[in-house]
Order: sequence, then structure tokens, then C-alpha cells
Amino acid sequence: MTDHSLPASADIRLEGVSKSFDGKVKAVDDVSLAIAPGEFFSLLGPSGCGKTTSLRMIAGFEAPDAGRIRVGGADITDVPVHKRDMGMVFQSYALFPHRTVAENVAFGLRMRSLPREEIRRRVAAALKQVALDGYEDRRPGQLSGGQQQRVALARAIVIRPPVLLCDEPLGALDRKLRQSMQFELKQLQKELGVTLVFVTHDQEEALAMSDRIAVMNAGRVEQVGAPAEIYDRPRTRFVADFIGEINLFDGTWDGGRFIAGDGRSLPATMNGARPGAGAVAVRPEKARIVAPGEGAVAGRIESANFLGGQVLYRIAASGDRHMLAKETNMGAAARPVGTEVGLLWNEADAVVLEG
Amino acid sequence: MSARSVDAGRLAYYALNGAIIAFLLAPIAIVAVFALNPTPYISFPPVGVTGRWFVKFFATDDFMVALWLSLRVAVVVLLLSMLIGGACALALARGRLPGARFLTAFFMSPLMLPAILTGLALFQVFQLAELDRPVWGLIVGHTLVAVPYVLRTTLAVLANFDTRVEEAAASLGASPMRVFVEVTLPLIRPGVIAGGIFAFIVSFDQFPISLFLVPPKGETLPVVLFNYMKFDLDGAIAAASMVSILLALSVVLLLERVIGLKAYVKL
Repeated sequence: MTDHSLPASADIRLEGVSKSFDGKVKAVDDVSLAIAPGEFFSLLGPSGCGKTTSLRMIAGFEAPDAGRIRVGGADITDVPVHKRDMGMVFQSYALFPHRTVAENVAFGLRMRSLPREEIRRRVAAALKQVALDGYEDRRPGQLSGGQQQRVALARAIVIRPPVLLCDEPLGALDRKLRQSMQFELKQLQKELGVTLVFVTHDQEEALAMSDRIAVMNAGRVEQVGAPAEIYDRPRTRFVADFIGEINLFDGTWDGGRFIAGDGRSLPATMNGARPGAGAVAVRPEKARIVAPGEGAVAGRIESANFLGGQVLYRIAASGDRHMLAKETNMGAAARPVGTEVGLLWNEADAVVLEG
Repeated sequence: MSARSVDAGRLAYYALNGAIIAFLLAPIAIVAVFALNPTPYISFPPVGVTGRWFVKFFATDDFMVALWLSLRVAVVVLLLSMLIGGACALALARGRLPGARFLTAFFMSPLMLPAILTGLALFQVFQLAELDRPVWGLIVGHTLVAVPYVLRTTLAVLANFDTRVEEAAASLGASPMRVFVEVTLPLIRPGVIAGGIFAFIVSFDQFPISLFLVPPKGETLPVVLFNYMKFDLDGAIAAASMVSILLALSVVLLLERVIGLKAYVKL
């Protein structure tokens, strides 16, 4: 358990990992992932998608029913939690309420029986890293939420783990603080070079922080990719819908062209999609508002939401459908509600979805 | 709402609280008055102030022997019920035992039974086992009714316990044993000790169970006082009561001071 023998970061592999509780629904269903050393990797999905259970299996709090977990090449599936040498940060902070800040941070070092002088030095350094020097003798109850989460972070990194696991660590913080903590956490992760697995249900957070994201749904991994890839090239309907806003069209591929349900041909390139029933999706900011006759689809502006830098239009089209289009706010007045408009996009901006 | 009705409501609130406090404190006040009144029988109104009943209480061997026995028994009961009640609470809250709810109700059941029945039942058991009312039998009887108090306060703490704190400790390299010693135990301690205080008082004040389980010449203070009252009703009884109250109070204050009960637990 001496941390000196370990590299600064390690890769993590999940190989066909499954887990069900009470033998019923599979919380995690045959998940395989390869996380690179030093990577900031997010598990993203709605509640109940299996992201937290996956993280808890990496940490060792839950044992998988099937599959293996490897860290730095070693199979750790059957290694107990306290011998895994991983840092863990919880949403609820999980600080020891009966101990001071310094004692909290020192805990992991004490478990490793390090000399007192080294413990003191490393605790001071870790607290400095999270900008909490001077708070050594406070109790967790006397700190704000953001400060408590910094203590939790210091407590986890002070043992210099090759892997840092974070379970919605910023979930309990207000928006402003959250954004500054996102920045700090990312910064710290790069400084330490640690492999970080980050669980969140907040797609903006995942997009902003991650090197790569695994989008999970119903216990399975839907897609793994860099943030831009996940956003611009969602592979499945679930990913397209879960990440940001998107316009979905069901239809059929017929001779290389996509024919929507109402019989119109929409701009899209087949890109290896199978002929027959299919779906394409267009991000609101890729949809241009044009004159009614010039668009691929037509409709009437139902509402205009001013978002600051952009205006989001909700457009009612035929057949009780609604579409979204985003325009950059260039200082001109928003288009009035009730205007008849058309929507057009580049073929390349239409994302072809699998099923 | 007009200002007047607010005042009336406030007045009623204070009046009700005053009545409750008076109701709770009146018996203690009466005992204090009798303990300090010099007349050789209990009477009202008091005619003066004297310390003679306290002197008599402390100078009477029967009282002192009984007080010492009661204190020793109560301390042992305190320790035993903290150990048993704390362990039971942990098992019930964490052990994923089948029928945990039933078991909880079962362990709490001595609180539902009239103590005189518990005393009688224990007396018969000891008779059948041909045991001649040993002190440990008395301790067993007291512990039986004291454990539910520790169980209840500890379960209350465990209900609000964030198990992630233990997981955090494990992830930092603490073995299950160390997690227990370094995290679990310190965090449930206020609940265990709060229950232990109840256990101490339940034992120290225990009358119905003790009545059946004490041998002649080996009686606890409440039994000795009861027997004394059958023949004498002087201020020594009141003085003994005052001493009991002050002892119980000092135990509570001492533990509160040393452990800081309020630190992490709201009861």
C-alpha cells in the first residue's frame, strides 16, 4: 500500500461488468470501458442508468455479478476497498464530523502509518492545493458546502491515488460555485495527472470538464466519445435526446435520400445508414430560419426565449410537431411570435441515428 | 390578526408552559421543603431550616450500605446496557437480519411490560433454578429493562447515519475493524451514552424489579427507603430522595460535560 511504488495514474478497464440488486433489474448490464491513464472520464446519464453503480464497483463498494475490473493492468475485482488505493469524493462530502479539517485530510496517511512529520507536511500541502490553508483546526460543521467539498478533495488526493473517483461531487453546490469548482477540479486533475472518473447527470458539466464521456442508459453504455463527438455526432436516439436540445425526424431512407413521415425529403447524407426506417437529428443552432417556401420544413414561431447570447425559437409545424431553432443574438430584435418561417440546414449537419 | 389576540395567544402559551414546568418541578420542590424542615414528621407549612435529616441519612448504616450497592449496580447496568444495547442496535440497523422489525419490537418489549411482572417472572426463574437472589441476578433484571433505552437512542443515531462516511474511510485505506473503531464508534457514541444515562437512572431508581430480586440485608436504596417508610415517615426519606436526585443529575451533567452529548446528536 505504499504509494511510492505506484505510478501517478493508472488505466482502468471494465470487462463485461454486470450487477443486479436483489436479482431483479440489471443496474449495470455488460459494461465494458477502457479509461486511459490521466484521463478525465465522465459517466453521464439519468438517475438509475447505472453510472453510480459502475463507479461503486470500481471503488469496491459493490461486487460485480459478472465481469472483471482491472486497474493498471492488475485484476482488482476481488480486492477489498481498503486495499485498492483509490481516492473517492462523494456528493454528500462524507467528511468525518468528529474530526478537524487537518485530521480528516490526515486520515488516509495515518492508515498508511506514515511518520508524523511527513503527514503534517503532506496535509499542509494538500490543503494549500485546495486553497484551504489556515482552516486546519475547523470542524466540517463550521465550513460552507464548497469548503467541505474542498476538504473531501484534499482528503482524497493527499494519499496520491493513481485513480480518483468522484460521485456527483458538485451536485450539492449552487450554480456559481459549481462552475468555479468545475474549473478548479479540472485544473487540479491535470496538475496531478491522476485518472479521474466522474459521475454526473448534468450534461453541461460533463461536456465542459471531460476528456471523454460514456453516456449510459438503463445499465448500458450508449456511446463513448469526446464531448464534441457526443454532442455533434450522437449515435443513438437516447444520446441525441439526452445531450442538449435536438430536433428528431423519423422517416425512411430511400435511394440515398431521407424521406420524413410527411413525405418531404430532408437534407441528410446516408453515411452508412441501412436503407429502410431510420431517424435523423438536427441541433437547434444548426437550423437556419429562412422564408417559409425555402425551408426543408415550415412552421409558425410559437415562442421566442431570450437566452442572453442566443434566442431559442419554438416553431409549430404541421402534424402537431414542434421544432427548435437557435439564432445568435446580434442585437436585432427577436422575430415576432406568429411569423411563418421555414427551417433549413446543411446536409452534413443532419446526424444519422441508429434506430 | 389583531395585536390583542396575538398577546392573548402568547399569554396562553406562557401559562401552559408555566403549568407544565410547575407540574414537573412541584414534587421535587415539596421533597426539598420536607428535607429541610426540622419537624420529626412530614408536615406543612415548614417551621424552619435544618440539615439534620441529611445527617441522619448519611449516618445510618442501612442507608449507606444500600446507597453504595445501588450505585455499584447502576454503574454495572450502565456499562452492560451500553454494550448490549449498542451491539443490538448495530446488528438491527446494519445486519440485514430477516425480521429486523420484529426483533426490534422484541428487544423493546421490556418497556411495554409492567416492571412488576418482569420482576415476578425473574423471581420465579431464579426460584426454579434454585438461586438465592445473587447480586448478578439483580443486575440481569435491571439490564433487561435498561437495554431498550440504549437501543432506542442508538437506533435513532444510526437512522441518520451517512454510511458514505464509513465508505470514505474504507477508500482511504481503513480496514473494516479500523472503520468501526475510528468512524462508526465515535459517531454512535453520543446515542449510546445518552441511552446509558437513562439506563443508569432506570437502575438506580428501580423499585418493582428490585423488590423481588433483593435478598434481606442486600437491598438497594429504593427498597430500603420503602421499608423505612412503612414504619417512619420523617425527613430522612426526603433527604434520601434529594440525594438520589442530585446524584442522578450530577451523572447527567458529568457525561454531558465530558462527552458533549449535544455535539452530534439531537434527541
